[in-house]
Amino acid sequence: MSIVALDPTSGPVEGTARTRLAPRPPSLSGQRLGLVVNGLGCSERFLDALAAQLLATTELDGVVKVVKSSVSVPPDPGDWSRLTEGATVAITGFGG
Amino acid sequence: MLHARREEWPDADAFLEAAYERGWTDGLPVVPATPERVEAFLATSGLAPDTVLGVVPTREVTVTAEHAAINSVMAGCRPEYFPVVVAAVRAHLDEHGNCHSTTGTLSGAAHAVIVNGPIRDELDVAYGAGCLGPGFRANATIGRALRLVIRNVCRAVPGFLDRATFSWPLRYSFCFGEDEAAGDWTPLHVQRGYAPDQSTVTVHSIMRMVSAWDSSSRDPEGVLDTLVAETRYHGIAGDAFLGDGVNVVYVMGREHQRFFFDAGWSKERMQAYLWPRLTAATAGFHDRRVNLGHPENILIVAAGGAGMAETWVLFPHLAWAVTRVVERPGDVPSETAR
Repeated sequence: MSIVALDPTSGPVEGTARTRLAPRPPSLSGQRLGLVVNGLGCSERFLDALAAQLLATTELDGVVKVVKSSVSVPPDPGDWSRLTEGATVAITGFGG
Repeated sequence: MLHARREEWPDADAFLEAAYERGWTDGLPVVPATPERVEAFLATSGLAPDTVLGVVPTREVTVTAEHAAINSVMAGCRPEYFPVVVAAVRAHLDEHGNCHSTTGTLSGAAHAVIVNGPIRDELDVAYGAGCLGPGFRANATIGRALRLVIRNVCRAVPGFLDRATFSWPLRYSFCFGEDEAAGDWTPLHVQRGYAPDQSTVTVHSIMRMVSAWDSSSRDPEGVLDTLVAETRYHGIAGDAFLGDGVNVVYVMGREHQRFFFDAGWSKERMQAYLWPRLTAATAGFHDRRVNLGHPENILIVAAGGAGMAETWVLFPHLAWAVTRVVERPGDVPSETAR
């Protein structure tokens, strides 16, 4: 006997536009680097050091740094605006 | 009217293989969510299929009663369990239940579903010997239903939005009741403002779960001092978003409970003893800060069987413990309900 069953999901996981990697620029020359500090461990120290290295070794145009107000929630709306309006590339770091 | 996409398979084996291929399961077999079964589940709650139980804004996800019913069927629930699952989903999707963080975290946090009130015995939710483990249909399938909602609807799929480094066996299912008749303690839900004749679900995110084993102490102070030491060894981190609302849960077994019953200690007295000792200034690496805003944030639950002198400490992940009432059609609202 055949079975009719319902899809338990809220939609497909794979292939949604929001989960595709952004196109990568050929170089960092003239780009503005966005950094999101999640507040875990030594994340701010690490990202500051990384930004300093990149500024010293590439032709980055600047850095937009956001420090989350809480480790448990996304950046504040104002910080998202600063990132999306001010940065052209970003580094997403994670870890605990 | 149900809204979910329907599909037909030639038999149960074909359905099950398709469910695995599509990632609809936690790795264990699932029950086909036929329209008839889903309708029967919804009927026990009195909810329309499109009733919104909560949202996850960061994932652009809205969880409906139909979603919860489909996943409850697949988890192996009986229809009458469904109102408990609804309460658990609502609690988890409360803003301070913090779904996105607690289900996406590297730490692999799990969720405890603690059931209080008359519905425990109506549904045979276990709260005695072995209640934290396998062997009890209500416990196993209610906890699993919440996890399947988190996976299938909230998209916490390993490698996608579930970023756990190791994850945890408790993520298959974790549900138990409180042994409210063990002594004269005030049940958890009554401490949280509900009436004794109401049934509730409290969902508590768990960063780690540790046994505070103490077979030497013979008085309340000794047992509580062991809980303090075990809790401070690991610590509870603070967080700006969660403020002073973070909780710790102590699931106290019978061999520890009896010292408090014999000495006439209430849960409130235990909270008053514990809180200043938990939050006192810390000394070093294995004596960490415990961020608990108030004595009431310490949740004490009686459960388990005889034998082992232990209390389980359920350390929080980044969420509050959230309690929601179990609502069923025909239930008479309690006069003392909050």
